[in-house]
Amino acid sequence: MTTAARPSLNPGIPPAKNMQGSPTPLSVLGAQADTERQRIRQQFETGTSARETLRAQCELADRNVQQIFDEVLRVQSREPQGLCLLALGGYGRRMLFPYSDLDILFLLGNERIEQESRPLISEFSRTLWDIGFRVSSAGRTLEECKRIEEDNAEFHLALLDRRFLAGDAALFEKLDTKVLPASEKQARPFLLAQIHRLTRERLMRYGNTIFHLEPNVKESPGGMRDYQAAIWLRQIVDERKGIRNITAAEEELSAAAVDFLSAIRCFLHYSNGRNDNTLTYELQAAAAERGLGVGDGVARTPAEWMRQYFRHARTLNRQLLRYLEQKAPVPLTLRQRFFNAARTAKFEPGGDKFFAVRDGLLEVLDQPVLSDRAVTYSLFAEAARTGTPLSREAERSIGYILTHPELPPKNTEIPWATLREILSSDYPGVALRSMQRLGLLTEILPEFGMIDSLVVRDFYHRYTVDEHSLRTIEHLQELAEPPDERGAHFGPLWKTAERRDLLILTLLLHDVGKGMSVENHVTGGLTALASAAKRLNLSSEEKEEVHFLIEHHLDMSATVQRRDIFDPATVSAFAQSVTTLERLQRLCLLTYADIHSVNPEALTPWKAEMLWQLFVATSNHFSRTLDRDRLHAPDEGSLLERVQALAGGTTLEEIERFLEGFPRRYLAVHSAAEIAAHLALYQKLGTDPVQTEILATRHGFSLTLLAADRPALFATISGVLTGWGMNINKADAFANAAGVVLDTFHFADLHRTLELNPSEAERFRKSLADVVNGKAPLEPLLKSRESTGRGRAPKVTVETRINFDDASSAHSTLLEIVTQDHPGLLYEIGSALARLACNIEVALIDTEGHKAIDVFYLTAQEKKLTTQKQELLREVLQGTLA
Amino acid sequence: MMKIEAIIQPSRFESVKDALREIGIEGMTVTEVRGHGRQKGHTEVYRGREYTVDLLPKIKLEMVLPDALVNRVVDTILKTAKTGKIGDGKIFLSRVEEAIRIRNEERGENAL
Repeated sequence: MTTAARPSLNPGIPPAKNMQGSPTPLSVLGAQADTERQRIRQQFETGTSARETLRAQCELADRNVQQIFDEVLRVQSREPQGLCLLALGGYGRRMLFPYSDLDILFLLGNERIEQESRPLISEFSRTLWDIGFRVSSAGRTLEECKRIEEDNAEFHLALLDRRFLAGDAALFEKLDTKVLPASEKQARPFLLAQIHRLTRERLMRYGNTIFHLEPNVKESPGGMRDYQAAIWLRQIVDERKGIRNITAAEEELSAAAVDFLSAIRCFLHYSNGRNDNTLTYELQAAAAERGLGVGDGVARTPAEWMRQYFRHARTLNRQLLRYLEQKAPVPLTLRQRFFNAARTAKFEPGGDKFFAVRDGLLEVLDQPVLSDRAVTYSLFAEAARTGTPLSREAERSIGYILTHPELPPKNTEIPWATLREILSSDYPGVALRSMQRLGLLTEILPEFGMIDSLVVRDFYHRYTVDEHSLRTIEHLQELAEPPDERGAHFGPLWKTAERRDLLILTLLLHDVGKGMSVENHVTGGLTALASAAKRLNLSSEEKEEVHFLIEHHLDMSATVQRRDIFDPATVSAFAQSVTTLERLQRLCLLTYADIHSVNPEALTPWKAEMLWQLFVATSNHFSRTLDRDRLHAPDEGSLLERVQALAGGTTLEEIERFLEGFPRRYLAVHSAAEIAAHLALYQKLGTDPVQTEILATRHGFSLTLLAADRPALFATISGVLTGWGMNINKADAFANAAGVVLDTFHFADLHRTLELNPSEAERFRKSLADVVNGKAPLEPLLKSRESTGRGRAPKVTVETRINFDDASSAHSTLLEIVTQDHPGLLYEIGSALARLACNIEVALIDTEGHKAIDVFYLTAQEKKLTTQKQELLREVLQGTLA
Repeated sequence: MMKIEAIIQPSRFESVKDALREIGIEGMTVTEVRGHGRQKGHTEVYRGREYTVDLLPKIKLEMVLPDALVNRVVDTILKTAKTGKIGDGKIFLSRVEEAIRIRNEERGENAL
C-alpha cells in the first residue's frame, strides 16, 4: 500500500533504546517477538499449514501492536479517546506473511487530536520497528476518510480490508458503519475503475500470462494479488446486491489455490529472509523436494510441482478475469459500440442463434446445445475468423458442459477440416487460447499436453513451453496490424501466406519434444507429428510440410546468427534446403514468431532486420534462378514411382518424357497426385490439343492448361479469363523440354459466375479451348467486359517499376514488373510481350493486396533480349500500365 | 588495464566467444550494432521496393582486461573473427584508469 500522507515513518529517526518508564524493556519485547517468530517458522517447516502460519503471524503482530499502543498511551499520559488503530490490506485480512509490512492506519477524531498525537504516533511506529516489525503507516482524520483521494486509490482499496486493532472502538464503529459505507457507495465507480486500471497495468507488466518460468507469486498474473483484486470486486459489487456469483466448487478451488500460494509465499519469505516473492529455479527445486503445499507432502520433480503451481494460479487468474469482465467500470463508449457492431457474429449455425457478440466478446445464448461439440467448435471457428474472444462466462458455460456430461456429448472428434478452418483463420490464437484454458486443445491435440505448464530451465526463455508456443501464434496474428517496427516487414508475409493452417499446426507442435524424454526436442516434435497426423488424417503432403517446418524450425535463426547472410553462397545453400518461396515464407514467419516469443526483448529490431534481409535475399534467389535448375527426370526415381502408382498403366518412360525439362519449382509446388493428374491431361493432348482442368479452391478457382507452345498463349489465356470477369491472383507458366506448356492460374471469380451457375463451367472451358485453338476470336469477349470498366479507383496507389536482369539466368532475360493490380492486367502485359515477339519461358505471377508482382523469363529467337528490345519493351509496358 | 572493443561479423560471434572462453575469458559485454567502414552497404529490391542496407549488422564486444592478457585476447579475436573478406571488423584498444566492483567496491585488476 502506498500512502500519500504517511506522517510518521522517518528512516532518519535514531532507534529508541527503551520506552521511558515502560515496565517491559524493548530488548525483552524484541526478544519475545523474535522467539515467537522462530516458533512460528519452525512449526511451518515441520508441516503446519500456511493458513495457521498466517494466523499466528497476525496474532503476534496484534499482541505487540496492542501492547505497544497501550504502553505509549501510558507513557505519554494519554487516553485513547479520539484515536484508534486499524489494520489494513493483507494485515487487515489476517493474511500477514512473515516479512510483509504491517499496514496500519491511525484514525483521528479531528485535526486537533491529529496535532496532539504526532509524538505518540512517531514513538509507536519507531518502537514497532525496533522490535522487528516493518510498519507502513498512514494517518487520517475521520473527516479526511470521507474524501476520495483520486491519486491514492491503493489507500481506499486497502481500507476495504479494515480491522480494528486498538484504541477508541466507538471511533472505529463510526468510521466502519457510518462514514465509510456512505463514502464507499459514492466512490464505487471510482474504485471499480481503479481496480481495473491497477489490475490491467499489473497484468501487462507481466505479459498478461501466468506462465512465467520464475513467477512472482504475489504480483504475477495468477498470484495472490489476483485473488485480492477478485475479492475487492466481489466486495464492491456482489455483496452489495447480495449476489453469490461463484459456485461452491469454484469457492473450493479458489481456497485451495490461496492455501497453496500462501504456503509458497511463506516459504519464499523464510528462504529469502525478506519480502521477496520470486519463485526462482532454486527455490522451485527446494519446494518440490518437500512437496510444499501438496497435501501428501511427497517430494516431486520441480516440473511436476510447478504444474501444480500453474493449476492453482490459473484458478485465481481465471476468477479475476471473469470478475473484471463482469464489472465493466464505465458504460461503453460510442467507439466501443461501433467496434462491437462490426464484430457481430455473422452467421447462426443451423438457423438458430447459439451465440452473440456482447461488449466485444462472444457470449453463449444456448448452453445445452454446447453438448454437441460441433457447435462448440463452430464458436471457436467464429472467434478465430473475427478475432472476437469468448467471454469468461462463455468459457465457464463450456467448461461446465465439459465437466458435467449430463447431456451425452456428440461429435467429440474434431474433423481436420474444422480444425483447419480455425488454424487458417486470421486470428487462430484467439480461439486456441480459449481452447487451451478449457482443456479442449489437449483433448484434440494430446501431444500438446506434454508441454502443459512445462518449465524448462533456461535463462533465455521467460515462459513455460506451452505459453511460448501459444505466444508464437499470437505474435503472428498481430502482424495484421504490426504493433511495432519489428513486425513491419513481416505483416505482408502473414497476410499472403498460403496454408497458414500448417504453419500454426507446426507452431503448436514445434517444441512438444521438450516435454519428452528425448535428447533433441526436434526429434520429439517429429514423433508427436506422426501421431497427430495419423489421428487428424493429414494428407501425406500436409504431413510432409509440417515435418519440414518442425525439423528445420531453428535453421533460419541459425543461418541469421551464424552465417554471413550477405554472402550469395549462404543464400544459395539456404534456398536449396528450403526449396520453395511458399515454404520460405512460412519458415520466415515461424522464425519471427519463435524468436519473438522467447521473451519480450528477444527479437531486437537488429535481429528482425537480419531475418528480413535473409528472407529478401532468398526470395530473390528463388525468383532469379527459376529456369536455372531444370528437371532431369531419370534422377527423380522415387517421384516417378509415386506418380506411376497414381497414374495406373503409364510407363516410366512416358512420365519421364512429360517431366523432362520442367523447372524444379514444378515439382516443389505440385504433389505427386497433382502431377499424375497433369500427366493424364498430357496424355490426352493427342486427341484434343488444349487440355484444361478447373477446380474450386478455398479462395477461388484454379485453372490448369496444357498445350503445345504457341505464340501469345499466355496472353490469350489471360485474355479469356479477363473476358469472363476473372481476376488472376497467381500464376505459373512452365514448359518442358518437348515444348509442352503447363500454365496454372489461380483466380477470383469477381461476378460469381461459376459459383452461381455451375453449368457455366463447361461453357467457360469450351470458350477457353476455342480461343486458344483459334476457333473463336478473343476480342468480343474482351469487348463485353470493357463496359464494366476498371471499377472503383484503388485505395492504395502502387508505383509501376519495370526491371530487367540479364545476369541471373544463363538463357533468358528476367523481367520483373511491380504495378497496381487490376482485372485484365496480365492480359495487357502478356499482349505487349507477344506483340514484341517475346517468348515467355517461365512466369511467376503473384499479388499482394493491390500490388501485382510479376516475374517473366523472356527470350526472343531463343536468345536473351537485346538492350534495344528491353528498352522498347519498357517503353511499351510503361505506356500500357500508365 | 586495457579496454578492448572489437567490432566483428555477427556470423563469427559464436566462434569468437567460444575461443575466448577456451582461454579463460568469460566476461564481456555484447551489443548488436549497425555500421560500416570501408565495406559499404548495398541495395536489395524486393517486390518493387528498394531496401538499402547502408549500415550493416555487426556485433560489438567490449571487455576490460589486465595488461598481461591483452595480447592473447587480441590474437584470439584476430584468428577467429578473420574471414579475409572486407567487413571483418576492427579491434580498438584503450587504456583504462580504474575499475570498481560495485558489490564490494574492490578496485583495480581485482575488480575485473
